[in-house]
Amino acid sequence: MGIFLKDINLKGKTALITGATKGLGRGAAIAIAEAGGNIIALGRNQTELNSLKREIKKFKVNYLPFNCDVNDYDRMKLFISDLKKLDILVNNAGTNIPESFLNVKKSSMETLLNVNTKAVFNIAQLCANQIIKLKRKSGSIINISSIFGIVAGQKRTVYSMTKFGVEGLTKGMALDLAKYNIRVNSVCPNIVLTPRTKKYFADKKYNKYVKDNTPINKVVTVSDVATSITFLASEAASMITGSSIVIDGGWTAK
Amino acid sequence: MFKKINLKNRTALVTGAGKGLGKACAIALAEAGAKVIILSRTKSDLIKVSKIIKKTKGSSQLFVCDVTNLEDFKKVLKKISRLDILINNAGNNRPQHFTKVTQENMEYLTNLNMKAAFNVAQLCSQKMVKEKNRRKIGGSIIHMSSQLGRVGCEGRNVYNMNKFGVEGLARGMACELAPYNIRVNTVCPTFVETPMVKKFFKNKKFKNKMLKNIPLGRVAKESDVATAVAFLAADSSEMITGTSLLVDGGWTAQ
Repeated sequence: MGIFLKDINLKGKTALITGATKGLGRGAAIAIAEAGGNIIALGRNQTELNSLKREIKKFKVNYLPFNCDVNDYDRMKLFISDLKKLDILVNNAGTNIPESFLNVKKSSMETLLNVNTKAVFNIAQLCANQIIKLKRKSGSIINISSIFGIVAGQKRTVYSMTKFGVEGLTKGMALDLAKYNIRVNSVCPNIVLTPRTKKYFADKKYNKYVKDNTPINKVVTVSDVATSITFLASEAASMITGSSIVIDGGWTAK
Repeated sequence: MFKKINLKNRTALVTGAGKGLGKACAIALAEAGAKVIILSRTKSDLIKVSKIIKKTKGSSQLFVCDVTNLEDFKKVLKKISRLDILINNAGNNRPQHFTKVTQENMEYLTNLNMKAAFNVAQLCSQKMVKEKNRRKIGGSIIHMSSQLGRVGCEGRNVYNMNKFGVEGLARGMACELAPYNIRVNTVCPTFVETPMVKKFFKNKKFKNKMLKNIPLGRVAKESDVATAVAFLAADSSEMITGTSLLVDGGWTAQ
């Protein structure tokens, strides 16, 4: 700890990460472990939960995997309300089914709303209640949003609807949880190269679309986002709540 | 995965570095390894800051300079060999009800908070883009804005005008400097324990009213803001540009 430069240190803290097996969730789990935090990893793929264990254990922190679908409210509730330690939630599990507005299927719309909105809300509520019950001195919840929580994109109507919703939820939660010293923020990345977006980037036209819209001529990496998440999770950000860190190389500044 | 805040081999210029937030930023950047160039109108303040930096084994160079004096600032820049980071911090406030704002105060605040901020940023940018390896190592400009660059507040109309302007300037600069890999962001603090705010808080009624507006129920510490500035200055945030980091305890989320 310096005089004015605060450490980003999560020693003794416990973080629950949803969608922890792949992409941003996996990156966040590794970065938080690197900063000393214990990891509770939620995902649906047992093989990947096992391989994540090997990566997390390198940092000599605790690792608790839980194979569960975030839509399974009852199992989630049972699991979270039984946790003995919890300080941080990285509310990451999410998905996207790009379709133009006129052709959005009812089933895709419902899937996105269930995962990106309802499950995000439910898990945040369950974790916030548990952090309060455990009488932790402070807490930090990070909702994974997107630039499409700030601006629109082609074939992103439902995704934008859900992510704008997450932005609203973040601010509302921040106000309700401030008195418990639980901070709530979001991160809004540009399109990050992850297993889910790999198929989008394979399309040359899409590649050009991302490049043309990103003033800083680079693709956002998982590490870029995981670093901001870790910063928000730590006491280095102890006065930051109800806001968003936009990691978009300037996309939304235009 | 996690990108540490590391400013080794970087040179940072901090305006208004004699007191308050500028002083905290200068020391935090030095603690992160940067060589710091500190500017203020008051030599005795600068000497105190450089002594603290020396104690933390950092290195600094001081210049007595009024940033509203363009020619003086140009002379300072000529004496500097390299520049990677600018903390455009010098600023002030003279609260008055809109109907009572004197011409003198409006001119003083606008000249300092906007004109000088623009000029300093432009001159530093001109120097920064010339560096041969700029695209490779990047650069970072951080404007000291305020929560009042995002929302209005009683008696703050000129300051609001100035800081909303700085928010616009940062976004415009971000678009134009992205090709050089120079990032431009702002930090928007709530009330911070600085000499400037201490003066305002002598009015207890005002202090209590303002504290009620901060959901976290406390004012920010100088280290909260300085850490956010160091985060934006470092490669930890290498894909963050054209945006603002709100260090406001939830003030603007309401």
